[in-house]
Amino acid sequence: MTPTDAPGRDLRLDFFRGLALFSIFIDHIPSNILAQFTLQSLMFSDAAEVFILISGYTAGKVYGRAIDRQGFLLAGVRVYHRVWQLYVAHVFLFMIFMATMAYTVDTLDRSLYADEFQAADFLHEPGVAVVEALTLRFQPAFMDILPLYIVLLAALPPTLAAFRRWPRAVLAVSAALWLAVQLDPHIALPAYPGPGRVWFFNPFAWQALFFVGAWLGGSPQGGGWLESRWALRVAAAVALAGFLIRFSWTLHGLYDPLPALVSGKPLWRFLSKQDLGLLRFVNVLALALLVARLIAPRGRIVAGRAAWPFVICGRHSLHVFCLGILLSVFGHLVLNEFFGGIAMQLLVSAAGIAIMIGVALLMEWFARAKAAPGRGAPERAPAGRGQS
Amino acid sequence: MPRTLRCAGLALVAAAHLALSPAASGASEQERQCPVPGSFSAFEPLVPRTARALAGGQAVVIVVLGGASSLGRAAGGASLSWPARMAGALTLRFPAARIKVMDLAAPRQTAQEAVARLARDVLPLKPTLVVWETGTMEAVRGVGVDEFRETLETGLDELLAVGIEVVLMTPQFSRDTDAVIRFDPYLVTMREMADLRDVPLFHRHGIMRYWAESGMMDLRARTSEGRRALAERLYECIGRAMADLVARDAAGPETPADPEGRR
Repeated sequence: MTPTDAPGRDLRLDFFRGLALFSIFIDHIPSNILAQFTLQSLMFSDAAEVFILISGYTAGKVYGRAIDRQGFLLAGVRVYHRVWQLYVAHVFLFMIFMATMAYTVDTLDRSLYADEFQAADFLHEPGVAVVEALTLRFQPAFMDILPLYIVLLAALPPTLAAFRRWPRAVLAVSAALWLAVQLDPHIALPAYPGPGRVWFFNPFAWQALFFVGAWLGGSPQGGGWLESRWALRVAAAVALAGFLIRFSWTLHGLYDPLPALVSGKPLWRFLSKQDLGLLRFVNVLALALLVARLIAPRGRIVAGRAAWPFVICGRHSLHVFCLGILLSVFGHLVLNEFFGGIAMQLLVSAAGIAIMIGVALLMEWFARAKAAPGRGAPERAPAGRGQS
Repeated sequence: MPRTLRCAGLALVAAAHLALSPAASGASEQERQCPVPGSFSAFEPLVPRTARALAGGQAVVIVVLGGASSLGRAAGGASLSWPARMAGALTLRFPAARIKVMDLAAPRQTAQEAVARLARDVLPLKPTLVVWETGTMEAVRGVGVDEFRETLETGLDELLAVGIEVVLMTPQFSRDTDAVIRFDPYLVTMREMADLRDVPLFHRHGIMRYWAESGMMDLRARTSEGRRALAERLYECIGRAMADLVARDAAGPETPADPEGRR
């Protein structure tokens, strides 16, 4: 099997989404040495921004086309079918979380930390916790990005419809909402357990990135200021500055006497992950522009054999994403139980990535097998892939 | 955020230390039982006023803010808490100093609650040093990191403004809690704030993890007596390590390397 099946496919999307999925897996294992070498240690933005931007772009592209071909109603239903799949995945992850809790809570009650652990309020009201998880308000460890994705995708059909008539107005509203959150962080969705707890990823801020992606994906390509030379230069300068500053912090963190280039303090308010701070936003857009300009849709970097595992995972992103979250939970449990130092961390990371690739391969095979008899190009299968 | 990833960096350094044998000749009792690698304090700023007061035999008031793990209950009483052990270690080392440790820890006290108590309960005591153990409740409840950072900044500024020295102390480590609670973002935030305000961080989480990883201390105990004994030993180790951090550049009458002086 090779990834070069659909000739028109933009492999960059698959590749970088696959890369983001591996990063999300690695970053979610606490105290994993490899997390020092993912985007989060090199740039202001991390895999979450990449994932949401590409997801917005693909969603805008796929469903924009679907609206043209199948009409708004059918395209809309397809989006909400996707939303439902994401929701089911969220509930599944929550089951895993509760199972882990049920397994550990007994040990915790008899540990030195029982007193402080009592503060985990949901343990005293599991019924409430379940309902709050079903309403997306309860987002325990690692269960924060799917709820964001769910609400963004749910908002997509009306937004795409509005894009067709008033693209500038929609972008302006989206940007204004993002700006409002930057100015007043109290604009947020409440979360459980309260009071004062909010969604980890503020959807009012993150929608801007998702819909910028959707707009780019849905609009005809080519031309415009994005093609200009100065846009490329600005993007390169932003990315370089981001790299120099952020990576100096990483090095400083690893070895204190190495200096940090810029003090973090004045930048903090622009680096909020919860509210998608300005620097994160700008940094990921600059990276996207660089990739779009410097790498061809089927360039050697993304179409070569070495890129293939990334492409295949990016193509089945929903399943691989959920699997990755699950694997990071298990990987964390393994490292936590057996320690084992750097070798063990590398082993756990490699095993997880191998499993992710294996499952992606299985899904690819299954999608092809389903599409194979009689039909030429799999018309239905791409709808299930590449759009999440 | 200068030392953002120090926590992870420290974990690396700690991992590297596993390969080395910790005991040198003439090691103290603690160094044999629960040594703390130098990397945990090598780049931490000093608390010079406190150290001077200790060495100069003056009055030293140390206030401890924190949660249940600073109260000593798990070990069987306040006299076995790490603040009491720290007081003991410092008194042995600086017999001339009038050392008073006031433990204001309260179970399940959040950082915000601790900050709210500063003006009323802490400042009137005119402390030389405040050890602020925090982050546990925030991690357990999943408080927003941005909010936690602001709370820390407010608290630190209030103390530093009146010339009180501060040590920040991170949450405890255990395999069981780490399995279900994400401490990393809160540890990183504490690292950042400590760097920003140039106060030392006592990385209890990393130190305890180092002890557990290296097999020096099994932080799991099955029986209630086992747990009590473990807590007693743990708090003694933490108390002594904290005393070492606080008194790093204070020349006491007895040197830290003298085993008799440490018993």
